[in-house]
Amino acid sequence: MFERRLYHHIDWGLLVALLALCGIGLANIYSATGGWTGVVETQIYGIALGVVALVVCLSIDYRSLADKSHLIYIGIAALLLYVLFFGAVRGGSRRWIDLGAFNLQPSEFAKAALALVLAKLFGESRRGVVTRVDLLIAGALTAVPVFLVARQPDLGTAVTLIPVAFAVAYVAGMPMRALGVLALVAALAAPAVWTFALQDYQRERISTFLDPAQDARGAGYQQIQARITAGSGGLWGKGFQEGTQGQLRFLPVAHNDFIFSVLAEEHGFAGVLAALGLYLFVILRALEAARLAKDRLGAYLVLGVLACFTFQVIYNITMSAGLAPVKGLTLPLMSYGGSSMVATLAGFGLILNVRMRRFTN
Amino acid sequence: MRLVALQVAVVVAFAALAVGFWYLQIVQGAKYEEMAANNFQRTLALRAPRGVLYDRNGKVLVENRSAYTVSIVREHSTDLDRTVQLLSEVAGLDAGDVRQVVDRRRNEPIYRPIVVIEDASLAQVAAIAARRLDFELPDVVIEEVPTRQYPTDALAAHLFGYVGEASDAQLGDGVTRGAIVGQSGVERVYNKLLMGQDGERRVVVNSLGREIRTEEEIPPREGRRVQLTVDYDLQKAAEDGFKHAGFNGAALVMDPRNGEVLTYVSLPAYDPNDFAGGIDRATWASLNADTLRPLQNRAIQGRYSPGSTFKLVVATAALEEGLVTPDFKVNCPGGASFFGRYFLCHLKGGHGVVDMRHAIEKSCNVYFYTLGNMLGVDRIHKWADKLGMTGKTGIDLPNEQESIVPSTAWKLERTGERWYPGETISVSIGQGQVSVTPAAMAMMITTIANGGTRVTPHIIRAVDEGGGWRMATPPAVAERVAFRPETLAALHDGLWMAVNAAGTAGRARIPGRDVAGKTGTAQVISIQGRQAARGNTGRDLRDHGWFVFFAPKDTPQLAGVIFGEHNEHGYLGAPIAKHVIETYFAKQEGRPLPVLPPKPAPAPTPRLEPDPDSPPVLLETQPVALNQSAVGSRQ
Repeated sequence: MFERRLYHHIDWGLLVALLALCGIGLANIYSATGGWTGVVETQIYGIALGVVALVVCLSIDYRSLADKSHLIYIGIAALLLYVLFFGAVRGGSRRWIDLGAFNLQPSEFAKAALALVLAKLFGESRRGVVTRVDLLIAGALTAVPVFLVARQPDLGTAVTLIPVAFAVAYVAGMPMRALGVLALVAALAAPAVWTFALQDYQRERISTFLDPAQDARGAGYQQIQARITAGSGGLWGKGFQEGTQGQLRFLPVAHNDFIFSVLAEEHGFAGVLAALGLYLFVILRALEAARLAKDRLGAYLVLGVLACFTFQVIYNITMSAGLAPVKGLTLPLMSYGGSSMVATLAGFGLILNVRMRRFTN
Repeated sequence: MRLVALQVAVVVAFAALAVGFWYLQIVQGAKYEEMAANNFQRTLALRAPRGVLYDRNGKVLVENRSAYTVSIVREHSTDLDRTVQLLSEVAGLDAGDVRQVVDRRRNEPIYRPIVVIEDASLAQVAAIAARRLDFELPDVVIEEVPTRQYPTDALAAHLFGYVGEASDAQLGDGVTRGAIVGQSGVERVYNKLLMGQDGERRVVVNSLGREIRTEEEIPPREGRRVQLTVDYDLQKAAEDGFKHAGFNGAALVMDPRNGEVLTYVSLPAYDPNDFAGGIDRATWASLNADTLRPLQNRAIQGRYSPGSTFKLVVATAALEEGLVTPDFKVNCPGGASFFGRYFLCHLKGGHGVVDMRHAIEKSCNVYFYTLGNMLGVDRIHKWADKLGMTGKTGIDLPNEQESIVPSTAWKLERTGERWYPGETISVSIGQGQVSVTPAAMAMMITTIANGGTRVTPHIIRAVDEGGGWRMATPPAVAERVAFRPETLAALHDGLWMAVNAAGTAGRARIPGRDVAGKTGTAQVISIQGRQAARGNTGRDLRDHGWFVFFAPKDTPQLAGVIFGEHNEHGYLGAPIAKHVIETYFAKQEGRPLPVLPPKPAPAPTPRLEPDPDSPPVLLETQPVALNQSAVGSRQ
């Protein structure tokens, strides 16, 4: 199954960059949680498990995976449905399946599954152009997991699924007109969404974002603290484990959603540039894989996975600087979280897979 | 094609992020750094203990003790109203008062503690600490702060003064809001020395406001140690004397050689300890409403007519002006006529022929009427001034009142009227418009005691500015007039006789100590006014009594004044002086300090002995044209 020559086509540069980011994340988690704790250990297990998932996703030809994509998709949808009713509740939302040793977060895996099924849909379209029917089907396929995740409720993760559909459809040749229509619909729907679809806490978060000072001790607190955390880092940062904001817990859940703020505080603008450079390298390198892909399926798969990753990276980093509303969105590869780590590395397994098999038939 | 667009989009997005972080971390970095520092650092003031006050022998007079303050830190409040309510309940305070305190300081930064209880009792501290452990009062802090500790019996209260939170006018020059500064007495005059330098402790706190560690501690620098000129034992002797005698008043005893104040009394007093921990409104109100006026510093703020003690001024003036010699004799038939009016002596039958010494001894009015008439008011004023009896004495205590001895110019300026010679007659026995503080009286007797050197009374003896005791520079001598030897001899002899011979001050006699002294009575209201007011006024209209003294006669080591408020007789102050003098010499010779005998029976009524200092009775022989004068108005 794993031919020797494929080994030479693995993108080692990308792999090293991925692991470097994991390492940086680990170091910052270590710093933010105050040393060697269970959190750090769990993260190490997550990375190890993620590497295994990566290897697995790399080993199986993405085309055979794509052939089974509908099954994977249905399986994930079933898990999401299960979570909605039987999932473990934490912090007011049902997102996890309690497996004893660890908790599984199916929504993280929905990203790769959606990318796979959409890549399959557009990549195997015989006609070569994107039809309205295709778009409608894609929309429906996207809407199901988005709806299920949003109901948990986990609006952050739900929103990250949408770029998957857009990226794939866009590269597949979706007419710009359709994009314009969608944008118009979104603009028109916004007030309605504001009124009916959003929960109170979500509305509060957005209005707080627009004016954090109105509620400095409440919802605006995290945003202000995030800005202070990042801003006080200066050029070279305060040093490893020397950050006052993260160490003294002015920034809540620093090891999770705000891991990049911790990095910005302790390693300054220099550290930020290094991390941003690594992420940019990863993304451009993965885009390269899409360009090199042997078939449209491969290219779309790469883009689907990457879209979700890129969106999350950019959003989380923006939020880490206190420049975007606070959402429960982790920073892939760096934030604490086993499911996210495994799913992300599995996704990159698919990307490496596509690049590795660019010469195979 | 579309892939390239995505590439470009990603690069642009990352570039935007980089720019965002550059702006945040580099451009605005300093601002956020400061905000982060404010997040985790707190600067807590460490109050400096005020300098300890010692007496002239090194005995501690005023020191510091630890008090507990209870404050609310609103930064940690989740529900301020609840905190106020609960804290008031636990500590037994009125919630309204607490709220008022908090409201008054509403606009201060929320991390600054608002002191709610200045000097909490141990019971309060325990009750609050228990609640704090339960996390019921997370925003309440208990701090230990040094607080002033004064002698328990309000000893020398008006000398020490009291401390309190700085008013707006007192801010600046090292005094910050909330600082404790001297508000009166030595505490106020030497506040700069005593205040010390508050320290601070920079602590690191976590997001819950709990202290993690101390970053830096600048210890407070204690205020300078200050040694006063007063002698604890003499001070105590004087105050005991007043208690024993059963009246209020003032006393000022100095070393006539250099002006060092050995004893400084003003009674009734307040307890400075009440102020040390922030005075409560009820105590303050009652101090202010008290008809005995315990906040008045009588020794320098009370003005009274000097009565017969003023005869010393007239005697000095007459001798030094060369108008008379000590042998100058006047026949006292019990009264004399001046300017068509008959002025009585206090002794009905008269003193017969008296010279200066005997006139002083017996306090003969007629003798001094005669001298006063010869001198005229302006020369009396001149010598009162030379004896330090006019204006302020210059003592290093705040809010001293000016003493007044009239002159023609003074009257003209004040009332626009010329001086009537008849007024001089009553001035010459210390009545009329003469109005002086006990401190001025002490100046007068001190100057007579030391032969004409007007030393300035002062209270600070030495200061320890870190390098051990350094003697304070005594204030410059205001004026040095060498009295003629015969003047001095006559004055000193007369004063000695007043105590040791047939005089009025026999109660101050100490065998072998040659105490010299003179009594006097200050009218509070005229005899006629007294009759008119009888029974329908709540004011105490009884006369005040004076006793000025020095000892030993020939080489005076201490001189001073005992002022008895409404004690009616000057000679009642003499035993107080005697007790002070005895204590002084006992101490000097290392003998046990004298103890006052058990309280005598209540003051005898009716009078057993005639009071020679009683105001003169004026007999009118003609219609009076001088109804503006003090004497006339008394009629």
